[in-house]
Amino acid sequence: MLRAAELTELQHVIDHAAHYLPTQGPLTVFVHHNTLHAFEDRSFSLAVREAFERYGCQPYFSESRYREELAGGRIRPDDLAAVLQEDLGDGADELVGLLGTRFHLRLAMLQHSLHSAPSAELRWVIAETDALRRFRQDVPSELRKRALDSTRRWIMRDFRGAHNLAGAYSAELRGIVSELFDELRGASIEEWTDDAWESFYLRLLWRICSAGVRNVACTPGPSVGGHRHRDELLNAAGHDSDELVNDVLIRFCAAFLDQGFAHWTLPDRDAGFYRSFLELYGQPGGLLPAWMHGIPQELRRLNEHNVPPLECIADSLERLGVAATEREQFIMSSLLALRGWAGMIWQMETNAQWTLHPAPKGSLTELLAIRLLLERYAVSFTAREQLGYDGSLAALRDAIGARYSPRADGSAVQRAFLFFQLAQVRGLTPEQLYRQPPKTWARLGEEMEAFSELERRRIFQLAYERRYRIETLDAISVQAKRIREGPAAASAPPLFQLFCCIDDREESFRRHLEEIEPRCETFGYAGFFGVAMYYRGAAEAYPRPLCPVVIKPNHYVEEHPADAVAEAHRRRAWARRLLGSASHEVHRGSLSLVGGAVASVFGSIASLPMVLRILFPRTTAHLRRLAGHTVRPPATQLLLERQDPTPGPEPGHIGYTVSEMADVVERTLRDNGLTSTFAPLVILLGHGSSSLNNPHESAYNCGACSGGRGGPNARAFAQMANDPRVRALLAERGLRLPAGTHFLGGFHNTCNDDVQFFDLDRLPSARAAYVDHARKAIDEARRRNAHERCRRFESAPLSLSAATALVHVQERSEDLSQARPEYNHATNAVTFVGRRSRTRGLYMDRRSFLASYDPTQDDESGTILARLLEAVIPVCAGISLEYYFSTVDTLGYGCGSKLPHNITSLLGVMEGALTDLRPGLSAQMVEIHEPMRHVFVIEATPEVMDRLIDASPMLSRIIRHEWAQLAVLSTEDDRIYVLAGGRRWELYQPESTRLPKAARSIDWYRGWRGHLGYALIMGESDASVRPTGEPRATTGAL
Amino acid sequence: MNDQLAQQLVNFLGVAVLLCPAALLAILGVWSLLGLRLSERVISRLTQAFVIAGLLAAVGILAVMLVSGRRRLTLPLGDWIVLPNLAGGEDHPFHFTFTFVFDRLSVPFVILSFLLVGTIGAFATKYLHREPGYARFFLLYAIFLVGMVVSSLAGTIETLFTGWELVGLSSALLVGFFHERASPVQNGLRVWSVYRMADAAFLIATVMLHHLTSSGDFTKLMGAKPWPEGAADISSSTALVVGLLLLVAAAGKSALVPFSGWLPRAMEGPTPSSAIFYGALSVHLGAFLLLRVSPLLERSVILCACVVALGAVSAAFGALAARVQCDVKSALAFASLTQVGIIVVEIGLGFRYLPLVHIMGHACLRSLQLLRAPTLLRDYHDLENAIGGRLPRRPAVWQRLAPEHFRGRIYRLALERGYWDTLLANSIVRPFKRFFRWCDALEGRWTRFLAGAESREADRPDFVGSVADDL
Repeated sequence: MLRAAELTELQHVIDHAAHYLPTQGPLTVFVHHNTLHAFEDRSFSLAVREAFERYGCQPYFSESRYREELAGGRIRPDDLAAVLQEDLGDGADELVGLLGTRFHLRLAMLQHSLHSAPSAELRWVIAETDALRRFRQDVPSELRKRALDSTRRWIMRDFRGAHNLAGAYSAELRGIVSELFDELRGASIEEWTDDAWESFYLRLLWRICSAGVRNVACTPGPSVGGHRHRDELLNAAGHDSDELVNDVLIRFCAAFLDQGFAHWTLPDRDAGFYRSFLELYGQPGGLLPAWMHGIPQELRRLNEHNVPPLECIADSLERLGVAATEREQFIMSSLLALRGWAGMIWQMETNAQWTLHPAPKGSLTELLAIRLLLERYAVSFTAREQLGYDGSLAALRDAIGARYSPRADGSAVQRAFLFFQLAQVRGLTPEQLYRQPPKTWARLGEEMEAFSELERRRIFQLAYERRYRIETLDAISVQAKRIREGPAAASAPPLFQLFCCIDDREESFRRHLEEIEPRCETFGYAGFFGVAMYYRGAAEAYPRPLCPVVIKPNHYVEEHPADAVAEAHRRRAWARRLLGSASHEVHRGSLSLVGGAVASVFGSIASLPMVLRILFPRTTAHLRRLAGHTVRPPATQLLLERQDPTPGPEPGHIGYTVSEMADVVERTLRDNGLTSTFAPLVILLGHGSSSLNNPHESAYNCGACSGGRGGPNARAFAQMANDPRVRALLAERGLRLPAGTHFLGGFHNTCNDDVQFFDLDRLPSARAAYVDHARKAIDEARRRNAHERCRRFESAPLSLSAATALVHVQERSEDLSQARPEYNHATNAVTFVGRRSRTRGLYMDRRSFLASYDPTQDDESGTILARLLEAVIPVCAGISLEYYFSTVDTLGYGCGSKLPHNITSLLGVMEGALTDLRPGLSAQMVEIHEPMRHVFVIEATPEVMDRLIDASPMLSRIIRHEWAQLAVLSTEDDRIYVLAGGRRWELYQPESTRLPKAARSIDWYRGWRGHLGYALIMGESDASVRPTGEPRATTGAL
Repeated sequence: MNDQLAQQLVNFLGVAVLLCPAALLAILGVWSLLGLRLSERVISRLTQAFVIAGLLAAVGILAVMLVSGRRRLTLPLGDWIVLPNLAGGEDHPFHFTFTFVFDRLSVPFVILSFLLVGTIGAFATKYLHREPGYARFFLLYAIFLVGMVVSSLAGTIETLFTGWELVGLSSALLVGFFHERASPVQNGLRVWSVYRMADAAFLIATVMLHHLTSSGDFTKLMGAKPWPEGAADISSSTALVVGLLLLVAAAGKSALVPFSGWLPRAMEGPTPSSAIFYGALSVHLGAFLLLRVSPLLERSVILCACVVALGAVSAAFGALAARVQCDVKSALAFASLTQVGIIVVEIGLGFRYLPLVHIMGHACLRSLQLLRAPTLLRDYHDLENAIGGRLPRRPAVWQRLAPEHFRGRIYRLALERGYWDTLLANSIVRPFKRFFRWCDALEGRWTRFLAGAESREADRPDFVGSVADDL
């Protein structure tokens, strides 16, 4: 019984450890989420630190990167001072020995890059570079002069004078100085040049620092990684036993999870990971690598005695000598050793019932059982081969510990060098230093230790975020003031209204459209427009969910051919099937023996399209599209209406009832605050992205549609809102849609900036003129949008015109060789939830999600806001955090460079031949991103916000634990309050009260590649604004 | 067209074919040697210009051959070493020359090389945009191009060897292109070591041929008739020995059994380099070598049998392994191996033009497939939509017929990639290592004895940590 309880406990430990695995599922449905979701119950700074210790992944940019940003002006010295002051609080003014207050010590450590390195390297620096001959570059000349002069005076007058007075200076100091005199020809000290004095000063300083740090106790830095046998072996012998284990496991995991790529499925896959491995590798025969000797026998034993995986784990742990206290840690680090695959198995086991081959329950436990078993053999083999160790596995770690003392990290040298550099930049003299009692040295040492590299990077990050936050809040407060003081907006109804997704990529599209046609109005709403459905297109095999992942849709919608063309549709479907089967056969056949031979004898023919596609991607794509017309479904309609009360996938249950439609329409319109002044034409644009040779294509699609394309949602919504019966129901509920208002659904492709509209044939002829007008404006907006996007693509010349820019982005989306079809959400930084008037005319550089919300139409408790934020904050924070982590550590949290990616099991990508699965974002996706915690600016009062946050566990986790920054634009007085420390509201005092102005967006961004600051776009009529000489960029870097 | 004019044209065009890649290599190489950075634009323009020029020159030679009706044109680049015949005869006991041959084998191959390398170059220009190793990639690419052109056109076995080495070098370095991670470097090294084995065999064969015919010229070796009609003028047993050595060389280069293990491991580089090397050109170089020395094969039936057997085993193994691979690049690698195996069988069976056509077609097809490998998810999705359901998967006939435990073993064999890596590790690498360890231990004992005390402190693993803090 005891045993059973122990095993339950073990299972519990494994399930707990599973939460720390990456949570990315199959790549075909890529949903952005916080990479460190499992750590959200801790504050951000604690979490990234803990994750650093657990995964060995960087929490922030490197210190040198921040220093570059400091030098480039992206971080300003006053940002550093401000965040440091706030971080230290009352402790800032405490005096810490020679170097002034703690605040000054830390500021000096931030501003001057103090070089640190392994002790061997430092010894080299001391011995071989001119570190002891020349001052550091960044010591100001007056400081140098002062330090040298006083040293010279001290040595010449006091020291040499007191030389005979025993006891005036310690024997140690006298020893050091006389040694230096010997080295530097002290006899001729009167003739020493300035250079000689500089060298003397530095050498003396160095020796005194070296002597001083003897009084400083060492504290070990944070340890990274676990203490598995493999880690100890790697340290002692330099051989990684995981390489052996992973080689077998990766191949097996891939075969086990395969979703239909391999033509031959793993035998006994249905029996589960463990059983199948036992069967496959327990077979006699075959050729075994030396380390695997004995494994088949062991596997057969397990198989014959029917040992369940949990018992196998317990057994392995016992043999490995893992004590109960370290069990949890050990299991976790064992799983993390191949975390991509382990995470994918866990996802397939718990969260992927929709896939072709989900993994059975318990697969992760079974993986762990096999892993530990293999590890036993790999570890004892490596220990025997490399160290000649033949003892028991349980005693291995102790034996290594006894035989190989951990390499001393020589921290004395490191610390001395730190003191040495700091003394230089603060202009301290040897005389001042040597007088310090050991207590002061120790105190200083502690202080410097406390402000470790990680801490410094944390402060830098805060300063980095602060600069951008200030710019954003300043811009919004300027805009708010303008609205308050400006003339009341004319209340003429707009010509048309446009709904887009809140996506940051639509910000520029909306801005350009408003510039082109000032009489239009735009709204931002989650790109599924409230229509949560499973959707199957006329040419698609399966329904897929088109709604945020947190919603499980009940409704099914299908696209059907219009009745008039049903026959043509059938013919084309047949042709598609024929072509599809044929190309599948060719693809399959080309990999096989005979088929491949036939295919390759005629393969030269394949070279023509290949060469054409690579050299002329756009033309080829155009030709392919023309050819594709013959098989694409002709005119279609949505099967949207249902009579039966219960929704479902079966015929008769597909669609929405009229009252459900009314619910959808009402909610979406009310959420956006669009309840009166309807324009004659309301356009909805879903969005998505198409690109080639891009395994992560679905990540570029609409996040509110589970990585799908939002066109059908817009189409469905328009159809619902146009239905007279729906309108009648809405009118009963107090939402009166004018009869003259027509809704039109459309789709915006954010990669090639194409916009297409649905159901134009149902357009009332009276509205045709409005549509024509809107389309013209949208066409121009597409061109300008493409042009603005092109400024970020280094391979697009800055001299492109708007029309050629559109051609350029179209080419990108069709180009096989393009690793950056678009930049997706890169550079996202802000979310504004509020009326568009608060941001209209503000150049936001495609960095902000814009959700429409009208606080004047909401009730006291913020009911509408609550349901908006419940979706907006987790989604936007998730996107921004995924980008954050993939940017600060592209190799660790991200998936590295896209160039060697290798799609595996139709699930994910490996880097090259045989590696761990790589979740996260690629270097090509994040290269222009600025990693910052997202700034949410919400039109609400602090009180309402507090209530909403406390009411929602999800929001409190993100906001209270500072995974995002929050500010509110108070609806009462247009003032901004910032949430500090996740709890305190502080009134924001704008740093500047004016913004640069430009007539059009293009005047502001033209000729510029880097990030751009905020600006007011005044409109073409306002000729008084021309670009001024004001600085444009937040950073000088391109 | 008279012969003299044809020869003059060939002299001119042939030099252009050779000079274009060489000049590209020189420019890129000198610039990076000097530590200067060329912009991406300049690099891609240079590459484009030289490859197109080279391609045009090669096509020009083809035209000259067609018009003049001559089936073999040579371009001698001078005798480098000639030892005079002391007996006073006409022929030399030893000479060493660089000669290039344009015939029905080399011209199609060189045109194919330019075409594919040029296309992949155009692809890589965009694909590697902003990659820190951009210049390095194109430098290695230029080395590869020189290697391919030199080995395709080689008229002597040493010339062929030179090109062969350049191809091997660039190949191994491109596998290790992403050198910030460990596994590309390890796998690059593995590819390199297999290549060394192959090269050693090649070198021995070269020396033997020199010994036999006093020069490395293919004309001497294979007779004066243009390819493929030459006849080797050596005994059957010599042909067998030399042929077997060359077969080992070809097997290493083309990843035939038992060297197949490196092929999937070579998929570490950027996608375009994988496509050009392991889909298209490099992997066919072994087969090309066999075609070039085909008259040798005709001298020995046993040799032909060996070639056929090796090709057949490789093809069968490749087809088997390709069926179980779950990642797209490995699957394509093994599919390549299958076709290379078949090509080798065709050569062994005495076909000449068929394997050439097969090589060209396969190279085009496979590099296209590798280039669009990253779009697999979308392709599968589109296919499923077209078919209107899951893609059908049918097990092969023999798979359904075979008994279950047999199937299990075969599956494991395929999953473990034929155990070839293990075989090489167990039978060659481990004994090697053990021997050197033994030597090392011996030396340790010897130095201890000589020093009369502990010696070789640096061997001890804890040595680094125990350096006295002498400051």
